[in-house]
Amino acid sequence: MKVAVGWAFCPWRREDYATVAPRAIVLCFLLLLLVGLGSCAAGPAPRALGPLNSRFSDRQPALSGDGRYLALMTDRNTQQELALYDLQTQQFIALPGVNRRDRLIESPSLSRSARYLVFLASERGRADVQIYDRLQRRGEILTLGYPGVIRNPSISPDGRYVAFESARRGEWNIEILDRGPGAGLDGPSGAAGQTAPVPGLPTPR
Amino acid sequence: MRLILRLTLRLTLRSPSPLNPNDRCRRLAQRATYTCSGLLALLLSGCVSGGRLLELPFDPGGRSLNSPYSDTHPAVSGRYVVSLSDRRGSQDLLLYDLQARTLIPIPGLNQWDVLIEDASVSEDGRWILFCALREGRSRLYLYSRDAQQSRELFPNWRASFRHPSLDARGQRLAFEVNVNGQWDIAVYDRNGQPLPIPTNPRN
Repeated sequence: MKVAVGWAFCPWRREDYATVAPRAIVLCFLLLLLVGLGSCAAGPAPRALGPLNSRFSDRQPALSGDGRYLALMTDRNTQQELALYDLQTQQFIALPGVNRRDRLIESPSLSRSARYLVFLASERGRADVQIYDRLQRRGEILTLGYPGVIRNPSISPDGRYVAFESARRGEWNIEILDRGPGAGLDGPSGAAGQTAPVPGLPTPR
Repeated sequence: MRLILRLTLRLTLRSPSPLNPNDRCRRLAQRATYTCSGLLALLLSGCVSGGRLLELPFDPGGRSLNSPYSDTHPAVSGRYVVSLSDRRGSQDLLLYDLQARTLIPIPGLNQWDVLIEDASVSEDGRWILFCALREGRSRLYLYSRDAQQSRELFPNWRASFRHPSLDARGQRLAFEVNVNGQWDIAVYDRNGQPLPIPTNPRN
């Protein structure tokens, strides 16, 4: 004879519970796992980058003017992302807010002390040259309003000039952007670059 | 530009139609706004959000940074810019001085059997690091303007070189190399000695 469990109007019997319970436990476990994974993917969890080269592709190196820092593109965290490596301490340096899911970054370039990081960022269907100031932790689009396709940006060590390729005239040409002398330069031009002239050899102009 | 000027002139100088003074005043204000915005557009034509674009002379004779041919891969360092140009019929490397607004001769760099792919320059313009193809192989060269000659770095490496980068003093160099069957980044000094970094590619 079957014994009713709970209230009289409950149609389930003890045998029903015995079959449903294991399935419910498995379902709950799966649900918890999904929730956990979801929160991991959504949160900006800091991920270790390890040594300079990984078993994935590491590309487009750019040295800072002082030779201490190296910017690179790496595929080690599934998405192509921009990373900054300190060759002296042999560690990666965090770049908060630079790598985002909604844009593709390419062609990095660094100023003298790696204060300025210039790169090509493609978002909303247009590629623009952007500059990231590590001192102020602020990014800025440099080529807003420029009529033309842009490639390969490069910043000078003092941070004043930014050169890039442009297809504005129907072929690749070079544009030089002058950020001006008051743009918070990264060390004066030639501060670390000048060496004593060698006698007997033509001096550079 | 001529069209803009003509339009602004016509808008400001056309005789006012017989309207009541209120309407005439409003229309005059409108025209003043148009004129101002036109002039502002003319003034700002060389500007983008990050600064001012340099008005570099566009020389069909090939004595400037840009030419009617393809000019690519700029790398700026101090007052110097290196770029690649097709103006002489093959992809040649150019060195341009932003202050003097002239090309600087680099004798011995562009060889007839060398196809240059990418380059980087030091801040004093004395050292140029470049990747090139020669005899079917990818090679990395360092050019000295004082010695007026290039030296091949790592001639024994069976690998491709890409994206050369030189620091401001021309003492440290980084490049992409596929010596391990994938693209890795190598950092060496000017004398060809590797920096003591783990995973720095060696031959």
